[in-house]
Amino acid sequence: MENGYLNTGASPIKMKTSENTDRDKLNTKKRNKINKINKESITTVLYPVLFGVFILVLWQTQLLHKVLGADTFTLPLPGRIVNIIFDNVPAVLKNVQATVIVSVSGLILGSVLGYLLGIVAMAFPKWGYGGISIASAFTAVPIVAIAPILNNLTQDFSDDPNVRSMLAKMIVVMITCTVSMSINAYRGFTELKPFSEDLMKSYAASKTTVFLKLRVPNSLPYVFTALRVSVPASIISALVSEYFAEYIIGVGRQIRESIVLAQYATAWAYILVACVIGILMYAILLIAEGVILKGRRNR
Amino acid sequence: MNRVKRVLSSKQMVTLIWVICLIIVWEIAASAIQQTKRTPENVLPHIYQIIDSVFSQKLVNGSQTVSEIVLSNAAVTLVRAGIGFLIGSAIGFALALLMNMFLPLEKIAFPYLMIIQMIPILGMAPIILAITKDIDKSRIVIAAILTFYPVATNTLAGFKAVEKEKHELMFSIAAKKIDVYKKLLIPSCIPYFFTGLKISAPMAITASILVDTLQGGGGLGCMLSQSLKHAMSIYVFWQIVFFSAVIGILSFYLMSVVEKLVSPYKKVRG
Amino acid sequence: MLLAKKINQDYSRDLLSETEELESGIKIENLSVQFPDKNGGEPVVALQNINLEVKPGEFVSLVGPSGCGKTTLLRTIADLQQPTSGTISIRGLTPREIRLQQKFGIVFQNPVLYEWRTVRRNVCMPMEIMGIPKKERTRRVTQMLELVGLYNFGKKYPHELSGGMQQRVGIARALALRPEILLMDEPFSALDEFTKEKLHLDLQNIWSKTKKTIIFVTHSIQEAVFLSDKVVVLSPHPGRISAIVDINLPRPRGLEIRDTIEFNSLVSKVRNSFEGV
Repeated sequence: MENGYLNTGASPIKMKTSENTDRDKLNTKKRNKINKINKESITTVLYPVLFGVFILVLWQTQLLHKVLGADTFTLPLPGRIVNIIFDNVPAVLKNVQATVIVSVSGLILGSVLGYLLGIVAMAFPKWGYGGISIASAFTAVPIVAIAPILNNLTQDFSDDPNVRSMLAKMIVVMITCTVSMSINAYRGFTELKPFSEDLMKSYAASKTTVFLKLRVPNSLPYVFTALRVSVPASIISALVSEYFAEYIIGVGRQIRESIVLAQYATAWAYILVACVIGILMYAILLIAEGVILKGRRNR
Repeated sequence: MNRVKRVLSSKQMVTLIWVICLIIVWEIAASAIQQTKRTPENVLPHIYQIIDSVFSQKLVNGSQTVSEIVLSNAAVTLVRAGIGFLIGSAIGFALALLMNMFLPLEKIAFPYLMIIQMIPILGMAPIILAITKDIDKSRIVIAAILTFYPVATNTLAGFKAVEKEKHELMFSIAAKKIDVYKKLLIPSCIPYFFTGLKISAPMAITASILVDTLQGGGGLGCMLSQSLKHAMSIYVFWQIVFFSAVIGILSFYLMSVVEKLVSPYKKVRG
Repeated sequence: MLLAKKINQDYSRDLLSETEELESGIKIENLSVQFPDKNGGEPVVALQNINLEVKPGEFVSLVGPSGCGKTTLLRTIADLQQPTSGTISIRGLTPREIRLQQKFGIVFQNPVLYEWRTVRRNVCMPMEIMGIPKKERTRRVTQMLELVGLYNFGKKYPHELSGGMQQRVGIARALALRPEILLMDEPFSALDEFTKEKLHLDLQNIWSKTKKTIIFVTHSIQEAVFLSDKVVVLSPHPGRISAIVDINLPRPRGLEIRDTIEFNSLVSKVRNSFEGV
């Protein structure tokens, strides 16, 4: 309880009976600011960083292996992993490109489609919402089942196996993104503050105006809620669907292939790459959210 | 007349009509494919064909019918998913509790929790398998990892969502910390805990199936890949697809039921 | 009927404060409370040089517009807020000591009931923390619910009750502890007029039966004049006492007293005491 709001009152400083000089005021201001930056923010960043470094050290010195009962073959040293990445930059980039293209395009297409579906659902609430709820059932089907189905369905799309696989993978990614975005968009369009619709009605605003000026801006936070789920999901879907694709390319596939060939260090290298991709995309999302939703109270 | 109208426009009716539409679309697609393919069942069989296979008595791999294969392997997969789920929930809850009690721990763990969300755990499945060298253990471990993140973050949110006045009330009667936890914080986080469970239950099942595909040893995913490679009837594949979807949805509802039992006081949210 | 009478007698005996507690007035001397400014500028002076004496068993209201510090004053008395300087003494002890003795009863503006507990168990909660044995707890809960008129609602959950009823549960819970001082922070401001009137009468009834010292924060002058023995008028920027108005109206006060000249002249007196609004 001591750290909480219950003691946010004044600290027991005796009130100055003489007048505060300007210099004193300035010093207090500076001191307060530095105190504020120092305490909270630094520990928030410092603790996890220290912990991460600690784990890395354990790993490199192989103490971690003893704890987990693993060997350096299946759990290679961090140094080795990093080396492999730098030695194979062209190959790594090629796979990264394939994965990122699939996940980003699936993400964009799926989200746009989802938003449009949300609009349709908003226009026909009774049927639309039911439809979207049914669609969310699709996410319950594991990727492992959807991916092969789509692979088969896209057989005839093109003669190039690369293009075929890419299409199949993109559709898999699109499914989760569409569903997530459509539900959130629908909620964004319909969960308005009380009386805002009535206000619009009192201005005799047309449905389109209400849509453009009220519902769309209201839906933006919800869009980002959906994206917070879709962005990591799109990467995971891309990676997993690569397992089942015809054409052997992509970070996820490389992980699988390396393990099959018992090249664990390479596998870990690609896992690291996958993590970096995931973190970068999420960071981009958070930055975009901060910029677009700037100034709003409840993000 | 009114009653009939009400029934026709009820939520269940809407759902039913959508399902019927989907079935119609499927059948149309299946017929179209039937025209153009040699082995249409591989691509998109008719629904009645799938239903047919559920009841057929034909022995597919020498000793079991299609349904039997699906069900027996399902049991295996689900049991493992279930164990992983329970372990993950317990760890997630405990971690959230500890993070709430010790601020330094929260500061350390929070960024890592976020990172776990961003990295594709499913992609790590092969590695975990390689480390544990045991298909059973790895299934449980992965299901546990996937469960533990949503449960931990949601439960933590539950702790933080307690109104200031409730804390002040406890303070004003000089309650000891353990009482504050027992009587206030833990009961209030239960709804959030269940939100986490509802998210992770289907995911745990998916994870378990995925790990199955990587290696033999029974389980739905294993049958799935074997069926794709035509080691047995393709209907095993299709049944598993539907079965896993149903199970995923059911697990969600199962969590809702458990929640109702545990917390009868919860008013129905719109 | 007989049972009700018996219960009536019981708590008249029980709830009256102990003799030593009858000496528990509140003495506030030179109290000041400052909050540091969020951006490191000048601290905000919420209360400045407050001097106030509350006799035991008195019903005192703190009235003023927003920002006058009335809630801060209440919270400082309750030890939810630390003073910057000055002293508060209750029965010779600091607020902290009184709090650790579990002698405060607080009612917030928002009932703050536990959604997962029934009404009975909500009233029970502080007693569980105090370690009061089960039999005694059950007895007191029944008494309290009777006192606030919710005897038949013991098994209900908070979301099944109206706002006014929930607030009554909050009052019952605060009283179940047998507190020395009842602190109420705008407890009725979220309720509609009709419920408020009823609760005013109920509160007066409870107070006359239990003779607790009550500190009551409100922004409604009429509410303050109707309920209290003494109205403390606070003005903002910085928060200070502008006037203390004694309310000599006879008790028990019915709702019709609000139409009398004496009542309205007291309301005007209070209103004219505000400064710098």
